[in-house]
Amino acid sequence: MLSITARNLASALRSSLVGTSSRVAAVRCLHGTEESAEEFDKRYEKYFSREGIDGWEIRKGMNDLLGMDLVPSPKIIEAGLRASRRVNDIALAIRWLEGCKDKCGDQKATLYPYLLEKITPTLQELGIPTIEELGYDKPELALKSVYDA
Amino acid sequence: MNLFPCLKLRKLYQMTRRRFASGGDSIRLMVADREVVGHGINGRPIYFDSPDCPFPAIRYQEVNSKLCALREKELDDWKNLSLDEKKQLYRHSFCQTYAEFQHFTPEWKICLAVALWLVSVGIAISISMKTMLYGKLPQTFDDERQSAQLRRIIQLQMNPITGLSSKWCYQENKWK
Repeated sequence: MLSITARNLASALRSSLVGTSSRVAAVRCLHGTEESAEEFDKRYEKYFSREGIDGWEIRKGMNDLLGMDLVPSPKIIEAGLRASRRVNDIALAIRWLEGCKDKCGDQKATLYPYLLEKITPTLQELGIPTIEELGYDKPELALKSVYDA
Repeated sequence: MNLFPCLKLRKLYQMTRRRFASGGDSIRLMVADREVVGHGINGRPIYFDSPDCPFPAIRYQEVNSKLCALREKELDDWKNLSLDEKKQLYRHSFCQTYAEFQHFTPEWKICLAVALWLVSVGIAISISMKTMLYGKLPQTFDDERQSAQLRRIIQLQMNPITGLSSKWCYQENKWK
């Protein structure tokens, strides 16, 4: 009697354990699919070039991208610029350029000219000035101290 | 499970939640006529410049008629805008450029000065307490008594494995 119960218990335990482990494997499988760089670029390009995108979504996408540990590829930058053209916000485009330049980090000397070279046609087409043309590569205005206000 | 069984209480809770979702009335008053253009860092209509979240929730400047005219012009081709107008539009949305808010300021001097000042106050307090507040050290701090204490520790073989007595050779009666 006892042995039968024990055997039943053991098999029940085993099946439950096996069940859990296979479920864990399935979950890991889902998380394990890594997005390639091209897919990532394509996803964000699609995000920015969606018809009817508004300023909120553009800002969200740009904030997200500039928060990541990467330099946006020229295609994403172009898509972002075109998106800001569609919502008629040139300030957004200029800030986006600045953010992308900042993301180059200590590789600004090599990476930034490359990015600029790639996106220059779009900049000229849309009439967006580069950061250097605006003089925003150097501090322009000093902030008034809050104690003088 | 219902947290608020009373309908009135639940209504009040929902009202306060909705009201303080944007940070309450004080933030709304500060925002005034500024355009809320995005989610920002936490959904509240606040402005700040930071490379972590470069697109804040509101535009920096309040709208006025001059800016409205510029915004109208912005709807057309951007090539028609002059460089100055582009700069104005930028300053309408943002307070400082990247180069400006990342510029190294001499603020470290005041930080260092305040820190050193606080340290010197601490040293002054400890010196004055030593000279004025505390009395003489107790007699157990005398050299004689301290060596007597050490002798006693060795005699009692305290901490014989890793401590003081392990350093004492009991055969030759001296330090190892």
